[in-house]
Amino acid sequence: MPRAVKGVLVECDPSIKALILSIDSKSHNIVLADLDDEHLLIDVPMLEHVKRQLDSQLAENTFKPAELDDIQRK
Amino acid sequence: MLSQDEYSDQYNSSESAATGDDDDEYTGRPSLPSVHLRVKPAPPQKPNAGDSTSFDPSSTVKGDSISRVFGRAEFSYLMLKPDHTSRPLWINPLDGRIILESYSPLAEQAQDFLVTIAEPVSRPTHIHEYKLTPYSLYAAVSVGLETNDIISVLNRLSKVAVPQNIIDFINNCTVSYGKVKLVLKYNRYFVESPQADTLQMLLKDPEIGPLRIEGDDYNATSTTIVEGLVREKAPSMGELTIPGTNKGSNSSAVAGGQAEGDRQHQSVEDLFTSVVGLDREDDDDMDAVHSFEIAHESVEPVKKRCQEIDYPVLEEYDFRNDTRNPNLDIDLKPSTQIRPYQEKSLSKMFGNGRARSGIIVLPCGAGKTLVGITAACTIKKSVIVLCTSSVSVMQWRQQFLQWCTIQPENIAVFTSENKEKFRNEAGLVVSTYSMVANTRNRSHESQKMMDFLTSREWGFVILDEVHVVPAAMFRRVVTTIAAHAKLGLTATLVREDDKIDDLNFLIGPKLYEANWMDLANKGHIANVQCAEVWCPMTTEFYNEYLHETPRKRRLLYIMNPKKFQACQFLINYHEKRGDKIIVFSDNVYALQAYAQKLKKFFIYGGTPQGERMNILQNFQLNPEVNTIFLSKVGDTSIDLPEATCLIQISSHYGSRRQEAQRLGRILRAKRRNDEGFNAFFYSLVSKDTQEMYYSTKRQAFLVDQGYAFKVITHLQGMENLPDLAYATVGERRELLQSVLLQNEEAAGIENGDDAENFVGRGGGYVKSIKKAKRTMGSLSSLAGGDDMAYVEYNKSKNKEKTRNPLIKKLYYSKK
Repeated sequence: MPRAVKGVLVECDPSIKALILSIDSKSHNIVLADLDDEHLLIDVPMLEHVKRQLDSQLAENTFKPAELDDIQRK
Repeated sequence: MLSQDEYSDQYNSSESAATGDDDDEYTGRPSLPSVHLRVKPAPPQKPNAGDSTSFDPSSTVKGDSISRVFGRAEFSYLMLKPDHTSRPLWINPLDGRIILESYSPLAEQAQDFLVTIAEPVSRPTHIHEYKLTPYSLYAAVSVGLETNDIISVLNRLSKVAVPQNIIDFINNCTVSYGKVKLVLKYNRYFVESPQADTLQMLLKDPEIGPLRIEGDDYNATSTTIVEGLVREKAPSMGELTIPGTNKGSNSSAVAGGQAEGDRQHQSVEDLFTSVVGLDREDDDDMDAVHSFEIAHESVEPVKKRCQEIDYPVLEEYDFRNDTRNPNLDIDLKPSTQIRPYQEKSLSKMFGNGRARSGIIVLPCGAGKTLVGITAACTIKKSVIVLCTSSVSVMQWRQQFLQWCTIQPENIAVFTSENKEKFRNEAGLVVSTYSMVANTRNRSHESQKMMDFLTSREWGFVILDEVHVVPAAMFRRVVTTIAAHAKLGLTATLVREDDKIDDLNFLIGPKLYEANWMDLANKGHIANVQCAEVWCPMTTEFYNEYLHETPRKRRLLYIMNPKKFQACQFLINYHEKRGDKIIVFSDNVYALQAYAQKLKKFFIYGGTPQGERMNILQNFQLNPEVNTIFLSKVGDTSIDLPEATCLIQISSHYGSRRQEAQRLGRILRAKRRNDEGFNAFFYSLVSKDTQEMYYSTKRQAFLVDQGYAFKVITHLQGMENLPDLAYATVGERRELLQSVLLQNEEAAGIENGDDAENFVGRGGGYVKSIKKAKRTMGSLSSLAGGDDMAYVEYNKSKNKEKTRNPLIKKLYYSKK
């Protein structure tokens, strides 16, 4: 019997897609379908979780000038 | 240092200070023509006995509806002066930051003043930010500014009355600094101070007191002895002229008694330099200095003790009265002209006719060498120059010959290859830090050379690229070489560790720091367009990136095929424009991979000297060679005025200094004065990786100097480039495989002779000397008389190496 699952279509850069897939690899409950290089179908309730994860992982790659002040103050 | 609590505690009764309406006029100093000097803060009133709470902005200020938003930084209680629009700066009472409107007509003078008393934090086009720190105030005092001058000039320039806690801060920092000087004159050491009571206090100190020597045959006529202290006239710039400046005649006129008239017409330009104390002879009483003598061997303990009791000594060298050390016959060539900012920096150094030790900060390519040479020509004593590599040793030697009249036989070079001495009584030695600081075994020759260096007294030591040298090595250098004055030169006084402060005490305060943008506008250094190119990671690379160890990740984002394509595209584009391009990569594996794929020359630590020279010459002269790849060895001290475009593909993590040094490679571009000329600086960054973090951090320094980085997310037309590398998925997979096969070492950074890691290696650089070999043979065989054919066994190792066919073709076919 065909089964219908509600999902959110996510369009993103290939690198972000890879990030989402790596988040998914721990629990396998996020990504419903891997469509192509730039598109993914994601489970609706997990959307917020994915957003948070992405934010925190990408924040690691962002430099805040305030950190420099901290370094100088030490 | 200052905590914020201290600040707010000191600040009491905000209302009275802000609205204080004292009608005193400032007197004694030439006034700014366009500013009415009628506002002065009233002395702060002591808080009433009943008023027990200390100042707290959030509670005492009525404020308006949005006051809360600003929290502690709510400064609406600071009343603007009525004529605030004509005054250029604000002072933040919380942390001593000064914000300057750099478009104000007074900004230029204000900048001169602020650079002296505060650290420049950030200097973009319209608004500059400075910060008052104890070190900067210490430096201000050491060039002769006095507490009251600092406060009154600040008050004159500030839109609001200078907050009381800032005044207290300045007072605290300047009260003890710079009051005591250690002067070497007539070959004896004197502790000198303008205030007799300071010296009396020192003499009562249990450690310093006994070290004093009674002046026995001190027979200078202008001195009197009061309470055991020698009193004499304060030193002045007098007739000392810095060679190469045309101000010479002017300043001697001042000394000749026309001070009054001159002061009138110089008033604007010299407003701040006159505060530094050029023409003060008329005020005899205040300018007398007192001194007592100490013995040579007690110099160290006295310095140490003064540091402990918070009266750090300044060292000055009265070189005109030094008769024991022979003069060096050195002068700038008549054709040599120094630029205004170079003159300004030197006038800070020789402000009172003596040489002060300190650091001068000028951008790369702005003529630091010439500043050093001019200083040496002013002092005219034996000079020792220390730099970071043997390449720059040769450059210094060559520059000395180019700019001044010193005879070649008076210049000695001391490196691992060269160990010369000069024959005359005075001369010049150029060497490297590692040669001098080496503590391991030396060869016989270099030991002899070291004995020569340590056995004599040096008038002046120039420390090039002073920021790279760690404190421990410096101590060794400073202690092994007896020099009277020290001058540190650098472009980037930043370190990622916190060792910069050490320099303040090992060499001296920062005497001058130039504004990069200013020099670029005046055409002294090139205009540079900076861009950060974002290269997306391909899916395959990013997948691997997410699963790799941090070290391997480095290699993946450097070898990102999109980055490679961007690099190829930019090289192609700029070669067509006729630019000469340098590509920088810290990672040697990537360097080789990129260069070989693109068929370009490359130089890294392992490239033999001869080949390096050959490649560099080809780059400069051969129109066929427009691009070279350099590893970290090219960061500093490689002089390539032809280069007009820089591409950076990998770098030393977040090192701000490296970024600035690399930019420096194109600042001295030959074509910089062409109409509309721009140099280009690209930094290629793989998106969504750690590199983004480092890249932003690296740029911080240049952004503070006023450079703006454009972000390029897409290079127009890159896909259509013919022979684009790694255009197909198959090629990219192949690349990924070969990258994954590399071990972690390949991801590391090259170890080699560059500024960044030259530091820890000390003297490991000295070549081991080949042992003599003894063989038996007859005289006739030695003379070649035996009947034998010669076979060459030891072919040069270089020739066995496999080379890129292109390099082979270009390099060997010439021979």
